[in-house]
Amino acid sequence: MAQFDQLTERVLRGFASRTSRRSIFSVLGGFIAGAAALPLLPVAKGGETEANPNDPNSGEPAPQTSGNPQDPGDRTKCDYWRYCAIDGSLCSCYGGSVTSCPPGTEMSPITWIGTCRNPADQRNYIISYNDCCGGVAWGRCACQNNQGDRPVVRPQTNNEVTWCFGTKSQSYTCTVALILGVAMETKK
Amino acid sequence: MFRNASSVAWLIALNAVIGAALAQAPAPPAGVENEQRAWQNWTLNCQGCHRLDGSGSAGTAPSIAGTVAKFLWVPGGREYLIRVPGVATSSLGDADLAELMNWMLWRFDREHLPVHFQPFTASELAPLRPRPLRLEASQMRSDLLAKAEASGPP
Repeated sequence: MAQFDQLTERVLRGFASRTSRRSIFSVLGGFIAGAAALPLLPVAKGGETEANPNDPNSGEPAPQTSGNPQDPGDRTKCDYWRYCAIDGSLCSCYGGSVTSCPPGTEMSPITWIGTCRNPADQRNYIISYNDCCGGVAWGRCACQNNQGDRPVVRPQTNNEVTWCFGTKSQSYTCTVALILGVAMETKK
Repeated sequence: MFRNASSVAWLIALNAVIGAALAQAPAPPAGVENEQRAWQNWTLNCQGCHRLDGSGSAGTAPSIAGTVAKFLWVPGGREYLIRVPGVATSSLGDADLAELMNWMLWRFDREHLPVHFQPFTASELAPLRPRPLRLEASQMRSDLLAKAEASGPP
């Protein structure tokens, strides 16, 4: 029994002399930072990446505007109104446009559909987000706008899922935003 | 003068075409109070996977176009249509969902609608939705469709 006491004492004293009382914070901090990064891991589509010398469209994209006051905004920026529920990269930055895929990619017929309010006329439009698939995901112009997004447990209304279904390649490149129609005004 | 006469003739012809189109426009589907709302609910909740033309996507969202009303030909088919996962677990309320189902049957498969089709109602949907089909849905689909093909329309 005495031996057991001595062993316990030696272990505890050793532990106390090797560790500081505040080391718990570093361990906890690691857990907190790790937990924050964890949900991003399985579904992230590339996120922020450094400029890549192999990327044919690298660098700051030239602004793309419609020239129509009814459709305002720069289509290479995440805050363009049609991108209100986009989760992915903008095809406007990849040699495509807001409605067309870059050369060498194929538009997915299976899409995520939501609504966005046009600041010009304050009406809601039904927007279809089609992923363009089969090219290289450079990760430029990556946007995280999540209006109307639901958790992954409701996959049909989750925009983090890559919608490259029904295409030859399942490799995600970028996303376009097509207008399907004007939404009804709902009485609130 | 001749140009004017020709454009008047064109207008008359155009009028006739539009008139004919309007006269032949099908009656609004039964059980659909607001077609615009039904279309919008379909677009926002179903079209992403079932596609614009209802042709569906292999493996996840079966084809609707030209098929969906055949389920109404056989016993159990009506319940099946409400208990498939996408319908039963939809975020829409019973009334909106019943309207959408009636609209969808008419929009994508009106030629197979039974003559005495009774539109879906909220009260019919309510007890069925808490019992969604899971993996058995696909087997049930092929069984019901085989029976429907064998029996033909009622």
